[in-house]
This record gives sequence, C-alpha cells and structure tokens, in this order.
Amino acid sequence: MIASYIPMFLIIAVGILLATVFFLGSTFLGPKQAKGAEHNTPYESGSESSGGRHVRLSVKFYLTAILFVVFDIEAVFLYPWGIKFRSFGWLGLVEMLGFLGVLVIGLVYCWKKGALEWET
Amino acid sequence: MIPIPAFLVLAGILFGIGAVGFLVRRNVLVALMSIELMLNAVNLTFVAFNRAYPRAHVGHTTAFFVIAIAAAEAAVGLAIVLAFFRLRKTVRSDAADILKN
Amino acid sequence: MNDLVTLWVPLAVLGLGVLLLLVDVLTPPKKAAQADVGWLVAVGLLVIFGATFLVDVQGVAAYGAYRTGPWALFFQRLFLVAGALAAFGGVEDVQKRTPGRQGEYWLMMLFSLSGMVLVPGAQNLLLVVVAFELMSIPLYVLAAHGKTDPDEASAKGNAAEAAVKLYFVGALSTAFTLFGLGLLTGLTGTTELARIGAAPLQPLAALGLLFVLGGLGYKIGMVPFHMWVPDTYQGARAPFVAFLSVAPKAAGLAVIAGIFAFGMQTQKSLWVGPLGMAAFLSMAIGNLLAVTQSDTRRLLGYSGVAQMGYVLIALATGEEFGLAMVLFFLVAYLFTNLGAFLVVHANAEAGAGFEVDGLAGLSRRAPKLALALACFLLSLAGIPFVVGFWAKLYVLLAAYRAGLVSLVVAGVVLAVIGLFYYLRLLRAAYMTEPTVSRPDERFGGPALGLAIALCVVAVVGLGLFPKPLLDAATRASHDLGVPAAAPHVGAR
Repeated sequence: MIASYIPMFLIIAVGILLATVFFLGSTFLGPKQAKGAEHNTPYESGSESSGGRHVRLSVKFYLTAILFVVFDIEAVFLYPWGIKFRSFGWLGLVEMLGFLGVLVIGLVYCWKKGALEWET
Repeated sequence: MIPIPAFLVLAGILFGIGAVGFLVRRNVLVALMSIELMLNAVNLTFVAFNRAYPRAHVGHTTAFFVIAIAAAEAAVGLAIVLAFFRLRKTVRSDAADILKN
Repeated sequence: MNDLVTLWVPLAVLGLGVLLLLVDVLTPPKKAAQADVGWLVAVGLLVIFGATFLVDVQGVAAYGAYRTGPWALFFQRLFLVAGALAAFGGVEDVQKRTPGRQGEYWLMMLFSLSGMVLVPGAQNLLLVVVAFELMSIPLYVLAAHGKTDPDEASAKGNAAEAAVKLYFVGALSTAFTLFGLGLLTGLTGTTELARIGAAPLQPLAALGLLFVLGGLGYKIGMVPFHMWVPDTYQGARAPFVAFLSVAPKAAGLAVIAGIFAFGMQTQKSLWVGPLGMAAFLSMAIGNLLAVTQSDTRRLLGYSGVAQMGYVLIALATGEEFGLAMVLFFLVAYLFTNLGAFLVVHANAEAGAGFEVDGLAGLSRRAPKLALALACFLLSLAGIPFVVGFWAKLYVLLAAYRAGLVSLVVAGVVLAVIGLFYYLRLLRAAYMTEPTVSRPDERFGGPALGLAIALCVVAVVGLGLFPKPLLDAATRASHDLGVPAAAPHVGAR
C-alpha cells in the first residue's frame, strides 16, 4: 500500500533538493554586489514599471469573467451527453438543442442589456 | 485502490474547514470561498459513493449538477457582494449591522 | 411528448418568463420604463391558475422524476396565487422605484416561480435540489432589487445588506442540504424519494438526514436557523418580502414533507423527535421575540417563525391527516401573511414608515385598510371566524390525534403570548390618535388595493366556509401516499 507511493515521495524529495541546491548555489557562486533601489524594482520585460501595487480593477472585468464562468459551466452537460450521443437518438439531439436554445436566449439577453459592451 | 471511507473522511474534513471558515472569517469574500469549498466536498462525496454503485452513474451526474448550481450561486453571490461593497465601502461582514433591533 | 404535457404547469410559468424576457429585450428602454409589466405577470399567472382547473393531467414524466397529481397541483395553485397576489401588490412599487429595471424584477419572480412549481412534483432528489435552487437563486437577486434607489434606506445599503444575509444563509443551507443528501443517497444507493427509506439506516445516513433537515430549516425560517428572517424582511422591499414570507416557505415544507413524511416514513422514529423539537423552539422563540419588536416588518418576521412552528407540529405527525392540515395551514398563512405585509407596505407608502407607531390612527386615516389589517391580525392570532382560527385548530387537532400532547399544550400557551403583539398592532391602528394628519395621504395604487381586497375576501371567505379547502387538502394529502394513521411511534 505505502510502497506504491514511494515514487511520489522520491519526486517530491528530488524537487525540494534541486530547488535548495540552485538557490544556495546562486547565493554562494554569484557576484556579490551592493543591492540598490534599482535591484528591488520588479522586472517587467525590460520596460519601466509604473503604478502602485494595489490597482483597483474595473468592474467590467468582473462582469465579463462571471458571464464566462456561467456559460462555461453549462458546457459541462455536453460531455456526458456527447458520450451517450448515439444511444439517445434524435430525441436526445432535440433535447440538447433545446438546452442550447435556452443558453442562446440568455446570451441574447446579456447582449441586448449591454453586458457584452466594453465601452459604456 | 483507496477505500471509499477514506474519501468520505477527506470530504468531511474539507466540509468542516469550509464551515469553520464561513463562521470564523469576517471577510465576505472568504465566506464565499468557504461555501465553494463545502460544495466541492459535496462533489467528492457524490463521486466517491458512485464507486459503490458502478452501474448507476447517479453520483457522477449529481456532481455535474452541483457544479452548475455552485457556479450560478457564485455569480449571484459576487454580484450581491459587489453591490454591498459599493454602498458600504467594505467587504467585512461586521459592516452588515444596520438591520437589527 | 407526453412528458411535456405532464410538465405543463412549470413549462407554462417558464414560457411566461421567456415571453417577458423577449418583450423586455425587444422594447426600447424608454417605452419599457413606462409600461406596467407587472400586470402582464399577474394576469398571466391567474390565467395559468384558472387553467389548472380545466386541464386534467396526472402521471409521471422524465422517467419517474416528476409526478403530477392532487398533491403537486395543490402546491402549484398555491404558488401561482401567491405569485399573482405579489405581482398585484408590487406592480406600482416596482414601476415607481425602478422604472428602468421592471423587466428584471418580474423575470426573476417568474423564474423563481417556475422552480417552485417543480418542487412539489419532484420524485427524484436530484430534481428536488435543482428545482429548489432554481427557486432560491432568483430570490437572492430580488432581495437586492432597488438597492440604488435614492431614498434614505437604500442609500445606506439596506437592500444590499438584506440580500447579503439572505444569500449567505441560503448558500450555506444549500451546502448543508447537499452534503446531507450526498451521505443519504450514497448509503442507500438511490435518489428516488420512494426508495431512500427502504434500506435500514446507518448512523452516517442519520447524520445526513439531520443535515438535510437543518439545511431546509434555514429556508423555512425554523429555529435555530431563523436569524436571517427579521433582517431580510426589514431590508428588502415590502412587496417582495410579502412574497418571500409565504411562497418559498411553502416550497420548503413541500420538500420536507416529501423527504421525511413520504420518503422516510419507515424511519419515522428518527425524525419525529428533531422535528417536534424544532416546532416547539420555533413557536417559543418566534412568539417571545416578536413581543419586543418595534418595526412591523421584524414583528411579522418573528410571527412568521412562530407560524412555521405550528405547521411543523402537524408535519411531525407524519400522517395523512396531519399533512392535510399542513396544506390547509399553508393556504391560510399565504393569504393572511401576504395581506398583512401589503397593508404594512401601503401604510409606509403613505409616508408613515414601518414602525409600529406609524400605524397610529390608521382606522381614521384609512378605515378600509385598518379593517383589512384587523382581519389579517385576527387570522394570524387564531381568533374564530377568520381562516387562521381553523388553521390553528386543525393543526393542533392533528397533533392531538397523533399523540403529540405536549406540543399541543405548548402551542395553545404560546398562541396566547402571540395575542399580545398582534393586539398591540391592532391597538396602534384603532385606539391611538394619528400623529400626523394629512388629508391627501395616498395608500398605494389600485393594484395594491386589489391585492389586499383579494386577501381579505379569501381570509374571511375561507373562515366562513373552510369545507371546500379542507376537502381539497385532504385529497392532496392522500395523493402523497403517507400512512393514514401511523402506529404509535413513541413520540412525546
């Protein structure tokens, strides 16, 4: 029982060991130099970083994200249906189209209410 | 093969962590996350039990529906928390104290 | 195709919702803001209600997951009437406060209703859960409706706070119910209501059963899960609260009856104790805390908790007669409580606020409204010749016949305490001088008046002629298939 977990523990141990070696290695082997203010700025692909750490994100992101989550989750019902697709026959197809139709109505509602507009 | 009771114990622990987190933390967003954790514990229960009845996929199908319910609830919950934040300027549940005797 | 016919009531409500959605989307915003969409909803629901008397469909759909018959139909009619009355009561308020968002309000109302009408017919726990959530989630949205209304209470975020409380308690109760159902169905291997009670119950399943009771108890506002009730009632809009205080509670009781009285009828000794205890605590705490309230909405909230205690007594009998009395009580409670909330709302519309003192001199300011309030309060208190009297009497009778004598005694004693605060409201309305007297007070519009009038007619009419309702409740209860008179199970 426990024996079957040994490879997993080995991977974890090797991972920790390697990380420690690299971390300590760079500390000991790397050039010693004074760390100024420049050193502590975050590295953003070479361009100057700007703004504070606490940026308040626009509500628009939230709305889009939540719409994505809701419609995305509904797709989960397609998976079991897809597996049994053939044995359901035409009735199953019609029922799934009905389900998707409901989702489309929801999408139309979002669209018409302006939830998909970025600039409002 | 991990026995079913092990899953149930894990689900129970997860559910307990969620319930305690819901009751102890004063941040409504953490409360939302706690509820998600509890619902995931529910999913684990359903899926684990499904192994006891391999012919019927009751546990699997129910888990799908629980996922959908959790998503719908989270969407509405976040919207309500957002409205609350806009009006009270905080996400601490202590701030929900105007309605009382 | 047969399935669609069997499912016609939920489909009709859903169809009305989709119709409204399309109308809402396709009309230009300016035009939509002027329309009274609520009338369409109210009339539509009344048409469906009328059609339930003409269309005679019985049978199962969706491979036995849904069954329609007198039991389901009784609840469906109750929900449709509650929806129509709430629509009449709310149409002017919604039009006045949130003209641009009327569509949303009524859509959520209809979607919630479509979940509700599915609940009593659900024979499969999966459908029970999904229908129950379909009912609950729109209610969270409705509680927050009008949150940015410029009046003073909304600016402080009262509606948002009400929604936060309703939502978090509701979501937590969902998690508990689902976890309980997970244990229950996992150990019995089925989600069919008719078969979950067949297997001998393991300790873990008993724990699951307790979780289910707790989770559903939240939804009906049963002690010790009642804390959200007064806060949400105080913060949300009154016409919505009128709906919230009756229809979801009836749906919750339908589920409790389905799972416990029907599904678990062989394990009765397990759940009679907790249910009886919850009934006693609800009556005691609801009645005692209602005495101290100064806000009419909170007072009615606690009174609602106490009323749920009375229903639970009858439910704890687990017999056909007791369940029939549950149904009778729910109808009485529907008209009485909905009416009372609408009267309180009408008084607040006239600028008198929601405090008990705000009712001062109502008999002089609006005699008809005061008379309606008197009817509702007497019915809530259980005074003869209004429907609430029969409801309380029958519930206690059912409990007595099932041997729950201590609960009957507690119910009678606590009803006397209930008299205090109901009469306090009446005294404010009839015996005190009006604090402000403005001759041009307006107590809401004609639709609100119509809703209150319908409630009064029902409360008085059913109080004088309770027989037809009693017969219908008995038929519906018989249809559920619980034992007619269970053997004595050592209940107190």
